[in-house]
Amino acid sequence: MTQFVQATLYGLLQGGLLALVAVGFSLVWGVMNVVNLAHGAFVLGGAYVALELHDALGLDPFVSMVPAAAVLFALGYLIQRYLVNLVVNAPIFITLILTFGLEMVLENLLRVWFTPDYQSIPTGYAQDSLRLPGDIRIPYGKLIAALLAVAVTVALVYFMRRTRTGLSILATGMDRGAARLMGVKARHVYALTFGIAAAMAGAAGAAEGAVRTFSPADARSFTLFSFVVAVLGGLGNMWGALYGGLVLGVVMSWGSQLLSGTMVNAVAFALLVVLLAVRPQGIAGKAFYASRVEV
Amino acid sequence: MSTVDAPAPPRTTTVVPAVAPWWRRSAPWVLLAAGTLGGIALQTQLYTAQERVVGTVFMFVALATAWNLIGGFTGYPWFGQVGFFGLGAYVTALCMYHLHLSFWLSLVLSGLVAGLFAAFVGVPLLRLKGHYFAIATLGVAEGLREVVLNLPRATGGGGGLTIPTLGPDAPTRWLGNDGFYILFLLIAAAVVAVALAVSRSRAGYALRAVNQDEEAAAAMGINTTRTKTLAFTLAATLTGVVGSAQAFRIQAIYPDPSFDTSITELAVIMVMIGGAGTVLGPILGAIAVQYMSEWLRENYTNAHTFILGALIIVTVVLLPQGFVNYLGDAVKTRRFSLLDNVRRYRL
Amino acid sequence: MTAVMQARGLSKRFGGLQAVKALDLDLYAGRLLGVIGPNGAGKSTAINLLTGHIRPTSGRVVVDGADLTGAKPWRVAHAGVARTFQIVKPFRGMTVLDNVTVAAMFTGQRHTVHASRQAAMETLDRVGLAGAARLSPTELSVADARRLELAKALALRPRVLLLDEVLAGLRPGEIDPALALIDSLRRDGLALMMVEHVIHAITAVADEVLVLHHGEVLTRGEPATVLSDERVIEAYLGSRFAKRAKEELR
Repeated sequence: MTQFVQATLYGLLQGGLLALVAVGFSLVWGVMNVVNLAHGAFVLGGAYVALELHDALGLDPFVSMVPAAAVLFALGYLIQRYLVNLVVNAPIFITLILTFGLEMVLENLLRVWFTPDYQSIPTGYAQDSLRLPGDIRIPYGKLIAALLAVAVTVALVYFMRRTRTGLSILATGMDRGAARLMGVKARHVYALTFGIAAAMAGAAGAAEGAVRTFSPADARSFTLFSFVVAVLGGLGNMWGALYGGLVLGVVMSWGSQLLSGTMVNAVAFALLVVLLAVRPQGIAGKAFYASRVEV
Repeated sequence: MSTVDAPAPPRTTTVVPAVAPWWRRSAPWVLLAAGTLGGIALQTQLYTAQERVVGTVFMFVALATAWNLIGGFTGYPWFGQVGFFGLGAYVTALCMYHLHLSFWLSLVLSGLVAGLFAAFVGVPLLRLKGHYFAIATLGVAEGLREVVLNLPRATGGGGGLTIPTLGPDAPTRWLGNDGFYILFLLIAAAVVAVALAVSRSRAGYALRAVNQDEEAAAAMGINTTRTKTLAFTLAATLTGVVGSAQAFRIQAIYPDPSFDTSITELAVIMVMIGGAGTVLGPILGAIAVQYMSEWLRENYTNAHTFILGALIIVTVVLLPQGFVNYLGDAVKTRRFSLLDNVRRYRL
Repeated sequence: MTAVMQARGLSKRFGGLQAVKALDLDLYAGRLLGVIGPNGAGKSTAINLLTGHIRPTSGRVVVDGADLTGAKPWRVAHAGVARTFQIVKPFRGMTVLDNVTVAAMFTGQRHTVHASRQAAMETLDRVGLAGAARLSPTELSVADARRLELAKALALRPRVLLLDEVLAGLRPGEIDPALALIDSLRRDGLALMMVEHVIHAITAVADEVLVLHHGEVLTRGEPATVLSDERVIEAYLGSRFAKRAKEELR
């Protein structure tokens, strides 16, 4: 029983952080119909910004979430404005391949600058645990990371729904032609969207850096988890990433208790495929997005 | 009400006969035969190391051409091709290691298993469109890798499996560098021949129609479900055969390299750069990308993926429709400017 | 005379919306049924129900005595039922000739590529598009794009043809030739159904007119009788304008 509660809590904490990793991916997909294969590289970019700031200034990685987000925002804005916008109307293959090429470039840069080795950002407290009755332990690092991640994700949802900029992004995602007629500058809005998504990835990366080791080779798996979370949550629902992240986190955590080795990943992918075949709009998504012919 | 049919409005184009003359229809076949013979002739000029490189180019010609059947002709973004490549590789390894079947029998079985598996998963998967199909097929490939990794008794798990190729244990002797060069050349030629036959047959028309507009295709009497599933099964079968041959060539196979997603990604990039939905495009794309990749790996080891990634970005921005399609349109409209081309998809 | 295509009690509900309710239809060889109704009356849904693009909630579709309720679109096409789409759906990446060739190829019987291309050329000739055979559909005018849509339907060699607003977007001068073509198809013995917005066009060619309103059959009968029906005018213009129109007629 203790083990089950422990696994569930771990899964929820992991899931909260996964939500922040994936929310930008989901946003870009939902608004621009672009699947950004370089998303995982953005997450790592945030982790390395935090690592540099820690080594140079001794900054705490959770504090570094802010500068990491700022750096990644600028990078994302420029990439969308001057690169992805050039092919954004092309069939999805084209944007997939473009972002794949981008991922190759970014990953190679990270490898050259920071070596391919695994690194971590040490803090004085992240390994200590909060002890709850019933011999349940929660590491402070994971707790803080998950709470901050959920807070940032929720803040993003409110930003999208309550501010002029957020609403213009959502409107452009629903009908770009109509949004342009309302005076929305689509080029700028797209760049802004991509920038915000990259900023979320950067913040998530800094938080990940505080709780785990990382290397440039992890870019793929961050992208893949974002994929799964976005699909589980369903596009078009801003809360989707949060649901998706929590569900995936808990399922993976339970699975690793029950199954040997990495079989839990096979289960996760089987779940994904079955979910796609049965309910392509995700757990909470709207059917409209799934039925849309995108090719 | 008038009783005459609507008069044809005046046209500038001349009426062309509905069917092309025989020499134009047989030209691609002649080219394919000439290319295959050229490949055999080329072998006499190559060192062993070069032979391996060119053999890998042939492998990618076959993979890209097989991918093109479902990804290019039918327009379904198949991001799980490597799953069937790895499946073919492991079926061959298992058949040869455990059952001591000959390689040639294993090759056929690998194709059959890959095809059957594709027919089985294809029906639900092909109901998905766009990114959803891409992710679902990616998920199938990753899932297969995990299954292989976690069945150590049969597959050796992460420790891999070594196909016996020498001595009394070997069901078939290793073919040698010369032998594998010819094998991959023939496989590539056979896959291209299949693509050529499909492209010009009723099935080719059906696939292109499904690609353009599935609803309209169904209204034209095309059984879209069957058409897509057949194309998917065919592409998977051919991919399984390629995986089988590659397994025998490298002998020692492991889950991660056999199910390496970058194999799928390379095939997709080759098709897109060469020209999706054409027979020639994937061949040119495979040769160009694989040659470039090898050259960069040798000369710029550290920046290899950086330069390749940058080249992919530039090519995709300048030639979003692929080289062969660009050339076809450009010759027809006499507009060769690449900047005009960029304007097509720009926001 | 027996109907080639019959629908009985055909209904479709989308969530809370009853798009089509208890629709009965009979299409006879050599006769044209005109279907009119205001926007959202369920006209296109009715065609989609007949061709299997949408599965009906209830009701039956019969072609030549064979039950095709809920059959897939390609089976309906093989049974001899062709259609056009309100928003034209050319295969944009193919030439005009290849577009029609596809239709000529998959009629249910086997046709070789060669034979299909010949048949496609003849069909293009009939609708007056032979000169455009090698063009891309994107280069066609609105009227020619509609002709192509019609050619694709005809290349199936159908016995029933369902036309979804084939006159929409045509200039006045283009409507008469199009109607002449449709009339010639009727004389060839096709069973025709024509969904239309242009009411005067329907009166010119229809043998019978059916008015849909909120998914239900408002009235049906001879074109002249139906169009003078007050309820029809009301459905199109609303009750206030209908009253005014009546006063003006007086």
